[in-house]
Amino acid sequence: MNVLALYKKSRPYSSYVIFGVLLALAPLMVNLGVLRFFHLTLIAGVVIYAIVALGLNLLMGYAGLVSLGTAAFMGVGAYLTAFFTQDLGMDFLPSIVLTVVITSILGILVGLLSLRVEGFFLAMATLAVAEILRQVFIEFTGFTNSFVGRTANFPEFFGFTMNRNQTFILLVVFLVLAMFVTQSFANSYTGRALSAMRGSEAAASAMGINIFKYRLIAFSVSTAYAGLGGALYMHFIRFTFPNVWMFTLSLMLFAVVVIGGVRSVAGTVVGAFVVFGVPDLILVNIPVIGDINGMAFVFTGVLIIVVVMYYPAGLIYIWHDIKVLVHKVRGRGKV
Amino acid sequence: MSIFIQILFNSLETGSILALATMGIILIFRTSKAFNYAQGAISMFCAFIAAYFMANTGANVFISTIVGVLGAVGVGVIIDRVVIKRMIKLHSVSKQIVTLGLVIVFLGLAPMFFGNIPYTYRRFAQGTHSIFGATITYSAMVNIAIGIAIMVALFFVIQKTKWGLAVRATASNDVVARMMGIPTSIVTMGAWAVAAALGSLAAMMVAPTTTVNFVMMDSIQITALLACVLGGLGTFFGPVFAAYLIALARNLISFYISSVWADAIVYLLILGILLISPNGIFGKKLVKKV
Amino acid sequence: MSNALLKAENLSIAFGGLKAVDDLSFEMNEGEIYGIIGPNGAGKTTAFNCITQFYRPDAGKVLFNAKEKGMIDLVGKKPHDIIGLGLVRTFQNVELIVSLSVIENLLVGAHTAFKSSLFSQILKLPKARREEEVLRKRAEAVLESLNLLHLKDMPALMQPYGIQKRIELGRTLMLNPKLIILDEPAAGLNDVETQALVQTVKDISSQYKCGILLIEHDMNFVSNVCQRICAINFGKLLAIGTPEEIKVNHDVQEAYLGKDEA
Repeated sequence: MNVLALYKKSRPYSSYVIFGVLLALAPLMVNLGVLRFFHLTLIAGVVIYAIVALGLNLLMGYAGLVSLGTAAFMGVGAYLTAFFTQDLGMDFLPSIVLTVVITSILGILVGLLSLRVEGFFLAMATLAVAEILRQVFIEFTGFTNSFVGRTANFPEFFGFTMNRNQTFILLVVFLVLAMFVTQSFANSYTGRALSAMRGSEAAASAMGINIFKYRLIAFSVSTAYAGLGGALYMHFIRFTFPNVWMFTLSLMLFAVVVIGGVRSVAGTVVGAFVVFGVPDLILVNIPVIGDINGMAFVFTGVLIIVVVMYYPAGLIYIWHDIKVLVHKVRGRGKV
Repeated sequence: MSIFIQILFNSLETGSILALATMGIILIFRTSKAFNYAQGAISMFCAFIAAYFMANTGANVFISTIVGVLGAVGVGVIIDRVVIKRMIKLHSVSKQIVTLGLVIVFLGLAPMFFGNIPYTYRRFAQGTHSIFGATITYSAMVNIAIGIAIMVALFFVIQKTKWGLAVRATASNDVVARMMGIPTSIVTMGAWAVAAALGSLAAMMVAPTTTVNFVMMDSIQITALLACVLGGLGTFFGPVFAAYLIALARNLISFYISSVWADAIVYLLILGILLISPNGIFGKKLVKKV
Repeated sequence: MSNALLKAENLSIAFGGLKAVDDLSFEMNEGEIYGIIGPNGAGKTTAFNCITQFYRPDAGKVLFNAKEKGMIDLVGKKPHDIIGLGLVRTFQNVELIVSLSVIENLLVGAHTAFKSSLFSQILKLPKARREEEVLRKRAEAVLESLNLLHLKDMPALMQPYGIQKRIELGRTLMLNPKLIILDEPAAGLNDVETQALVQTVKDISSQYKCGILLIEHDMNFVSNVCQRICAINFGKLLAIGTPEEIKVNHDVQEAYLGKDEA
């Protein structure tokens, strides 16, 4: 029963909505004084990175591919939406749509360049592409304003501009939508094709699955998530410069997926909280440890290694294993 | 003529540095069946050890470098014993994930031990020499000599000695090698130690121009990984040759086209070449068994 | 012959200097159960991989009577294009997708029948839902015919080897293939399971009206199930004939039992 539960295809859409509603109460908590102002920024960061990591999870968990350029693709999304809304005067929604479309096309181009070689090569190629994009962020001054950085506004719809709290709620709405979309993608025939490909390339191609095409789809979808995340970042934080989108951020997003749980929507959200929330919310408050330089990195890095070696399904299954344990203990008690 | 000699010498120097890093990655790839994404971070950390030693004891560059290399050997052995040894049975993708975890660990350990401020690092030698109108620094000559000497020595060890045979046997099939009595666990540990030492040496060679900082090895690490694939993963020679070739291409591009975009153009060129020839320039097509 | 289903003509492939398949020709008819036998290392699996285009043969043709397109040469086609022509295979080491359930594994077998766009899948538009429903029904029917329906939501990973082989067989049936190629279907099965497999293969052939090509080294199994057999050794053709003819063939006996010393 315990293992079977892992495979039971639950469609927990209603719990996503409940989760979203609870999360959307955070601004209220700030107003009531339960949370502090900076907590909201922190949670917004977790929400944005969770969206991006959901896309990365589709790529890693289902297609079995690793991308190390996620941060750079987020950067592209951030600069694009800044360009569309500030320079071209577009509204928030068309700008977001256009940004997502362009980043996913960029994903297809990078995929075309790198996915013909074995699957492992994507990680290296995205590493190189991320360096190229970083150079672009620095050098294309007219578009990115280089190290001075670019600004953007809170989202604007038809002349109405949202405030910070409203934007936060919008982020939560996007997260819930992303969770919904990720879950249905995973359960679709495309999701199955990706699983098949990761499980056995030979069997997948014998079943008519074009490996290259599906790798391309997976990668392009994951860059679209990254572009969306970058654009949302831009409209909440409202400022960006090249050093935001460095390799370390890509690594942290990668860590989110590994630590939280590959192939798990809820796990990804938990992972985003562990990687982006725990160090700033909890670690810094611990005496002595909180003052040590680099503690957050060591914490995340060690967690990755420990999870891969001892808990490969990700931390999300701790909850599940506890339930199984309780079930067993109770069962024994009855007999 | 002088420009040509200048470019050639520059390429030999950057090529030697890149070749050391590449050799470290391919050594671990062959023996542990995983790309070591952490090599750059480990090298950076060991360059910090050397620079910290230099700054606090006033030791000369050679002693500091030896300290850095010994530190690297220690770090390599510790990584192998604590992490790698426990994941022999893991899938190679999982191993790669672990090396990415190591990157994050070392990015945290470096500021933890050495603070957030970059260190300077002295050159191996001061002064310059003029050959056919090209200005060659003595330190470049030392770097080239060290790089080539180490490559030659490593190829000799790998091809001609008992230990080299053990490495090649482990690389070709570790299970059979173990059954034949080859201590593969020691081979793997040695590979991690040597690889860390090679990478750190490369880091200490670039340190005088870049300073010792957290991102000093980023571009070398990426280029070295690409060099491994470009040279073909089946040999030790191919990647090292590719490293020198990439260095030459980079210097040519940087001189004749653009120094700002040299890295970007080199990366795109490599991606393009691999698009046409996915098994690298020396690679053979592997037939997968189904 | 007018009702030829698959024709291999002078198929050859070499790895390094070793000729794994050497000038192999054979022909099987529609609806026939045909066997390729040979001792270990005879080049059976390689021949298979040449037919299904997992390997590109160095020379020769593989002619297949595809559904509407008539006789076409498979050589040069991509492995993932083969199934669309009505030819589907299994693998020697059962390649099920362990992260999916039994029924989902069958649905992977129907992959090329899914047509809805990515967009409608993500948003679960009615078109995508209907398509999924139709093919799920089909998968349930196939599972039922193989007596596996009770396992449909179980993880494929946890099934015993014999069941996994049946699931893989079920996966080939999703698209009404004209030809199913089985790679060592009896390997790793016990006697009872092998007996059951003989019946299953015959049932499938008559029920789904498809040809079955199988490779095996278990002579008994092949004799019980196949109408004709092609025996090979060292990549070369030894003999073609009915099971009875092959059993008494001198070359075949020699290949299996070694040369008579006397």
